[in-house]
Amino acid sequence: MSEADVGKPSASSDGSDRRTFFSAMAMFSGLLGGYGLFASLAARFLFPAGPAAKEWMFVAEVSAISPGAAFDFRSPAGHIISIAHLGEKAAAEDFVALSRVCPHLGCRVHWESVNNRFFCPCHNGAFDAEGNATEGPPKDARQVLARYPVKVEQGLLFIEVPLATLAQADDTDGAPEAVPYV
Amino acid sequence: MEAIKSWFRERLPISGAQLQELTNEPVPNHLKRWWFCLGGTPAYLFVVQIFTGILLALYYQAAPSTAYESVRHITHEVSFGWYFRSVHKWAATLMVAAVILHQMRVYFTGAYRKPRELNWMVGMCLLLCTLMIGFTGYSLVYEQLSYWGATVGANICDTIPVVGKYFKQLLLAGEVYNQQTLPRFYILHAAILPVTMILLLAIHIGILRLQGVTEFRFEDEPPGKPAQFDFFPDHLYTELIIGLILMILLSVLSTVLPAVMGDPADPLTTPEVIKPEWFFYVTFRWLKLFAPTFAVLSMGFIVFLMFVWPFIDGWIRRKTRFSEASVWIGIVGVLLIIGLTVWEAAVEH
Repeated sequence: MSEADVGKPSASSDGSDRRTFFSAMAMFSGLLGGYGLFASLAARFLFPAGPAAKEWMFVAEVSAISPGAAFDFRSPAGHIISIAHLGEKAAAEDFVALSRVCPHLGCRVHWESVNNRFFCPCHNGAFDAEGNATEGPPKDARQVLARYPVKVEQGLLFIEVPLATLAQADDTDGAPEAVPYV
Repeated sequence: MEAIKSWFRERLPISGAQLQELTNEPVPNHLKRWWFCLGGTPAYLFVVQIFTGILLALYYQAAPSTAYESVRHITHEVSFGWYFRSVHKWAATLMVAAVILHQMRVYFTGAYRKPRELNWMVGMCLLLCTLMIGFTGYSLVYEQLSYWGATVGANICDTIPVVGKYFKQLLLAGEVYNQQTLPRFYILHAAILPVTMILLLAIHIGILRLQGVTEFRFEDEPPGKPAQFDFFPDHLYTELIIGLILMILLSVLSTVLPAVMGDPADPLTTPEVIKPEWFFYVTFRWLKLFAPTFAVLSMGFIVFLMFVWPFIDGWIRRKTRFSEASVWIGIVGVLLIIGLTVWEAAVEH
């Protein structure tokens, strides 16, 4: 330090060092907090979610569905499902619940009881009663209609479907629909 | 400690001073004004898009039978999936807005003029890539808007004389939307366009570094004020703060207005009303105003004029006395864009 510097206030005594330090710390904390939180959310995202929560839902009384008839059923999560009474009896094996969304391009398939098949009018795709493709582009790609488990208890038909989140429940008024169309 | 330093020095023969020389470019003072950070904003958002896009790609399945369900799975079942999908969507929206604002700033300050014409053209390529990546992005959800948006887009291509049908086939991987279409959109969205944009950005920033940023002086600045300041740490600090503010903004928008799921695509049911994302409203309204072929060709011509605008502007300034014609043309252009966008947004059809 030269003689002329003696008696001058040092940088730290006028608080500029402290200000620099605190502003650097504020910047560092902000960056660490912001991007740290973002990184922790990303880490949570990377771990796969468990299997989707499913629930058995009541569809209809078995006696109300005559053999050969089919229902449209919309789950709370928005899945459009066709439930058909294929057998003569009223056991779970006599019902089939298949997604109405064609795996080819997403058109809606419908049950043709006369031809005993699900038919997709977009590209003439067809599926047998078990949901296996029998004609059209889905057959070429060996695609099937997604299948949902059903059960019969005390004369009531139930279907197992993924549960809705709160946001989805708002969209569908929280209530599943069962609309007969055949 | 010294041993570790020398180990690295041997393998990375670059000193701190050299590194500073490479990165520390003097930045013109006017960049302290916020509207001059609009070029850095889309670049930052592009990084956010790459990061969130990679996360979403871990769960997304690009096939008509699985795409919608995989997006639903991300949105409703994966931890914070709704957050990252919403951030991806909102960052895209803000990125398009920031790119447009950046281009307007460059235009109205005349920063595209000689010798920066080439960088303006690279910027135009980046604008088109941004719009295309937006278009292919919302096609991936495979909801009604995705399917019919892609179909309408392909039909627009089809109206171009001679080459239109080939464009359509190239886009859809066939005459109509089919099972190969969605993977094609996915590769465009997640590989071809981002890599192209990274290369274009490198050229854009490279030319900017070679020529330096256009310098402006403002009337309210004191005369003795230094003309430049350091990139590091001053400008980097500004960019970091803008980055944090953007992250907060994205998080707030994603929480308050999260990305939702529309109805799944149904090729048999044409929606009553189909509208693209807001940044295509201008194009959409233009298409409704004129016959398809004329509308598409005139739009192509306008884009071409935008590409070569620095040369047209140079000619006008040299040969005529309307040296500030670009400002008035720009004002008319911006009013037209805003007018057509508001018009399309306000009406149902």
